Amino acid sequence: MRCKRFWYGVWALTALCFLSSPAALAAEKVYINGIDANFPPFAYVDKSGNPDGFDVKSLDWIAKEMGFKVKHQPMDWDGIIPSLKAKKIDIVASGMSITEERKKQVNFTTPYWKIKQVLVAKKDAKVTAEQALADGNKIGVQRGTTEAKWIEENLIKKAGKKFELIQYDSAPLAVEDVLNGRIIAAAMDDAPALDAAKKKPVKLLGGFGMADEFFGYAIRKEDAEFLKKVNEGLKRLMKSPAWAELKKTYIDK
Amino acid sequence: MPESLNAVIDALPYLLAGSAVTLIVVVGAMCLGLCLGVPLAVGQLYGQPAIRRAIGVYVWFFRGIPLLVLLFLFYFGLCTALDINLSAFTVAIIVLGLISSAYQSQIFRGAILSLPEGQLKAARALGMSDRRAIASIILPQALRLSVPGWSNEYSIILKDSAVAYALGVPEIMARAHFVATRTYQQLPLYLAAGVIFLVLTYLGTKGLRVLEEKVRIPGYSPQGG
Repeated sequence: MRCKRFWYGVWALTALCFLSSPAALAAEKVYINGIDANFPPFAYVDKSGNPDGFDVKSLDWIAKEMGFKVKHQPMDWDGIIPSLKAKKIDIVASGMSITEERKKQVNFTTPYWKIKQVLVAKKDAKVTAEQALADGNKIGVQRGTTEAKWIEENLIKKAGKKFELIQYDSAPLAVEDVLNGRIIAAAMDDAPALDAAKKKPVKLLGGFGMADEFFGYAIRKEDAEFLKKVNEGLKRLMKSPAWAELKKTYIDK
Repeated sequence: MPESLNAVIDALPYLLAGSAVTLIVVVGAMCLGLCLGVPLAVGQLYGQPAIRRAIGVYVWFFRGIPLLVLLFLFYFGLCTALDINLSAFTVAIIVLGLISSAYQSQIFRGAILSLPEGQLKAARALGMSDRRAIASIILPQALRLSVPGWSNEYSIILKDSAVAYALGVPEIMARAHFVATRTYQQLPLYLAAGVIFLVLTYLGTKGLRVLEEKVRIPGYSPQGG
């Protein structure tokens, strides 16, 4: 009999572990915002571990204004669109560039931010953006980003440049390797690049020929109603003084 | 060094909350592995040839594919293809549990094989059915003998669980990574994550050592000495 009790205990413990999964506890509809928490200042986790950043706080404002609940869930950038399509998350408000290719898979809200792609190098490096992309050099980039794709297609395939493109899990890791001297420069969005320059001895070399992009929130194609709601909220936010406040707190600080 | 020390102190509560997530994943996976591993071991030893072969394939599959591949296969592949919505957390427990069941089944199998064959014959001679004999005579002994190997499995799953960070499970490694990218204090944060894992390994194996002592049969050796 004791043996039976032991097995009941083990099964109960297994069930308990599964039930402690956060998804099982959600009682009412909460929209999940998938973020790349390695993308300061747009999305990151603060000192106490709560999601924070320009996009996080913007969406919080919109949710409050439009009367829905939102939770921010850090996840891997690589799989963020598959996760959105698989309904693991409901929206991506985390500095996502609007591209034709992504538009085929998901819908985007109206653009809210213009972004330039820049190269980041060591502060004392004596290279221009052009020289950094010379043959034989190593350039870092975050995997799964628009800049990674653009560099591969345009600079390496079309222009036939022979630098080595190294792909990282997140842009800050590429910056770390710039500091280590393993790569000469890292290609990334200008806002996180400026954030890095404030925290580490790196500087912006300027652009590398990629056209400006716009950030939008990504939402599943079938959730047209939700897209309308978020768009309306975004419109109200950009007109309100809260927008300038957010910019001041997160981007210009 | 004060700046890096501050980064660790600031992040410590956040990292420790991550160790709770890690522990739930590890305990869940080990329990699931135990629940599946015992029937697998029994099936592989006493089952019909077809069952034995099927279990052999199962064990070969889960021991032969890298954890990261299985995690992606289940989370992005199977979940999407079958249109089931499981959280990354749940998938991490399931995948680690299935892998562990394959390894645990071999631990139990070894323990059962180490028992003298005569025990089963003796149980039959006393009129017990095979099922009864396995449940009441063989398994209680085999499970006790498995505890040392099982402790080893704990430390392996504990370390493997860090790979779940790739799915976005907010465990220790993912949290260290988040803080490191915000503060650019890579060395102290990954060091802190490593120390937390060391402490968890130490405490876990220590606890299982106590369990091993507690369930030991005094003066017993499997060879019937």
